[in-house]
Amino acid sequence: MIHTNRRLKRMGNKLLFTGPAIFSFLAVVILPFLYGIYMTFFKWDGISSVKPFVGIKNYLEVFRDYDFWTSIALTFKYVIATVILINIIAFILAYLVTSGIKGQNFFRTIFFTPNLIGGLVLGFIWQFIFNNLLVTIGQKYGILLFSKTWLGDENKAFWALVIAAVWQYAGYMMVILIAGIMNVPKDILEAAKIDGAGGLSRLRYITLPLMVPSFIITIFLSLQRGFMAYDVNLALTKGGPFGSTVFASMFVYNKAFVRFNYGVGQAEAFVLFFLVAAVTLLQVSISKKMEVEA
Amino acid sequence: MKKIKTIISMGLVFAMVASLSACGSKASESKSSDSQTNDTQTETTQTDQSQVDKTESTEPVEISILNSKNDLNQQFLDAVTEFNKTYPNIKVDVISTDQSPVEKATALYAAGTPATLCMLDAGDISKFKDKAADLSSEKWVSEVPQPDMVDGKVIAFPFAVEGYGLIYNKAVVDKALGTTFDPSTINTTTALEDLLTKIQNAGVSPLIIGSMDWSLGNHFLALTYANQPDSDVSTFISTLKAGTADLVNNSAYNGLMNMFDMMMKYNKAKDDPMAVTYEQSIAAVATEEAAITFNGNWSMMEIQKSNPDGEFGFIPVPISDNASDKGNTAIAVGATKQIFIDSSASTEEQQEAAKTFLNWVVYDAAGQDFLVNKCNIVPGFKNITFEPANSLAKAIVEYNNSGKAIAFAGNYVPADHWNVLGASMQKYLVGKIDKTELAAEVEDYWKNVE
Repeated sequence: MIHTNRRLKRMGNKLLFTGPAIFSFLAVVILPFLYGIYMTFFKWDGISSVKPFVGIKNYLEVFRDYDFWTSIALTFKYVIATVILINIIAFILAYLVTSGIKGQNFFRTIFFTPNLIGGLVLGFIWQFIFNNLLVTIGQKYGILLFSKTWLGDENKAFWALVIAAVWQYAGYMMVILIAGIMNVPKDILEAAKIDGAGGLSRLRYITLPLMVPSFIITIFLSLQRGFMAYDVNLALTKGGPFGSTVFASMFVYNKAFVRFNYGVGQAEAFVLFFLVAAVTLLQVSISKKMEVEA
Repeated sequence: MKKIKTIISMGLVFAMVASLSACGSKASESKSSDSQTNDTQTETTQTDQSQVDKTESTEPVEISILNSKNDLNQQFLDAVTEFNKTYPNIKVDVISTDQSPVEKATALYAAGTPATLCMLDAGDISKFKDKAADLSSEKWVSEVPQPDMVDGKVIAFPFAVEGYGLIYNKAVVDKALGTTFDPSTINTTTALEDLLTKIQNAGVSPLIIGSMDWSLGNHFLALTYANQPDSDVSTFISTLKAGTADLVNNSAYNGLMNMFDMMMKYNKAKDDPMAVTYEQSIAAVATEEAAITFNGNWSMMEIQKSNPDGEFGFIPVPISDNASDKGNTAIAVGATKQIFIDSSASTEEQQEAAKTFLNWVVYDAAGQDFLVNKCNIVPGFKNITFEPANSLAKAIVEYNNSGKAIAFAGNYVPADHWNVLGASMQKYLVGKIDKTELAAEVEDYWKNVE
């Protein structure tokens, strides 16, 4: 009897402290998610009072929607480009500002700053740079690469988005990698040095393997942000020129809120969720295996 | 000690629960007050409620208006103050938004707190037909030259009449010609080309094309639908939907695209056409860097930012060398912003109050003053004699009153038309596709519209 009483009391205590958080989580994450799934079985324009049930027709339409898969493919291309560039540049920056160069704390702050600028503002800043600043410089000095706006060309607009994203996230990932570098035990490095390992082999065989946990985090974050990219996409190119840089998030948004096709839009959002979840889980499980201990 | 701990934790829980429930009741109580960052909402009331209750028997009615012309927020608030001088019993909340108006209206409906009066772009009104009150018997309907009908009923109030064409800077064109320019002399493509050459010879860029998808798709390309010699916009669109409109051999389409070729030839930014934003295209004309651009009278706000005193006017977009073709002497004019009254969640009293407000705008001198003088809007009602002050709005009134107006075809197209076909027009602008491919994309779009 006493035993059950205790258990109830413990349960009550748990609920007392986690209850509010659980309640909020259910209300703003789980419920909308489930309701979203429910909505994929209906045809709705977002306004009308009639919502006919259509079964899995919306999902069939997703698989027939050529434009959706084009934007998914483009998103994958963007994710690959940004994940590689962000992590390489972030690592180089982190390595530089931990190598003991003059004013390294100052540089750490500077490199981190872009991350403090909101996506929309950042998009408009880069829009000005690509549309006006670079064009003016390009025309003045006859640099062919910059004499036309990058945002008017499909390929260059894509790379403009990649550049803006790398600029934004490299500093953030740098901070995580700095922590990783600092955690590499000094004694091992010293031992390697005494054994005659040069700077490069110390980096290759000691620092990098011991930093895998940090890379798991930075790759995970850059993957997830790449897939979810919307704000810079909206502010910098608006999906243009001629709809050539519409990433998956923007495509789904347009489907539901510009073309008023809520059912299909929601179904596409759900498919996107599965793709992102699958890719990121795969990444984490693969890279967990690469972790080593000193 | 233990007791104190229990009391403290209980107190905390209570505070949490209380704050949660407080949020909940607030949301349901205050009508339609969601705090989107770009929304400005202000309540305005002139009346002291207790006083009204004593003096008049009727209960005060509370209505709200969704204003999708965000720059007119202050004017709306002032109008409500004026309105309350005559009708102290009607309290009006103004919800201004610069979000897409349908998005905002949909959000309000989803929250169960729709605005009583809802201002939308004309093309979106029919989506709300099962929620809109029938306004056919309203007095102001007789003042509208051609009221828009949905299923044989008038459900929307034409708030703003707008028009578009080629905007020219009078100072630049007059200087280039050496005389006062008369826009009615431009009634063929050849006449327009002459004008463009003359301006070019005078050392000014004759024309600049803004690369905005909404402008190219819903305004320029839509001229094809309005320029059909023997069918109106809806009829032509139904042939497009049926797939029987043969665009490649359509004279209006070809004429319009030939015209676009010519515009591209004289385009100030022809080396880099996609770089021209709305602001840049308007500023170029306002600051006399270019003489002409393609846009509408709403651009006056933007023009006045860099040239508050300049005079501007409209030239029609000619599509042939035959001066009697319908679009060659006319510009596109239509009621682009329309207001419907919600009947799904609003009470009879609220709907009546909303109707009172609309009548006040049309018939009360203060209402007319608000519409025309304060908001600089071209009114769509025959009884309003005020004239708007700015030169572009005046030009619209002139074209409209002399019957030189063709349909604002953008009012008839689906919501994603600008997005999809605007992109196609941009491809044409940079030379990625030709007339035939563009025609195919347009036909393809319409065949897939539901």
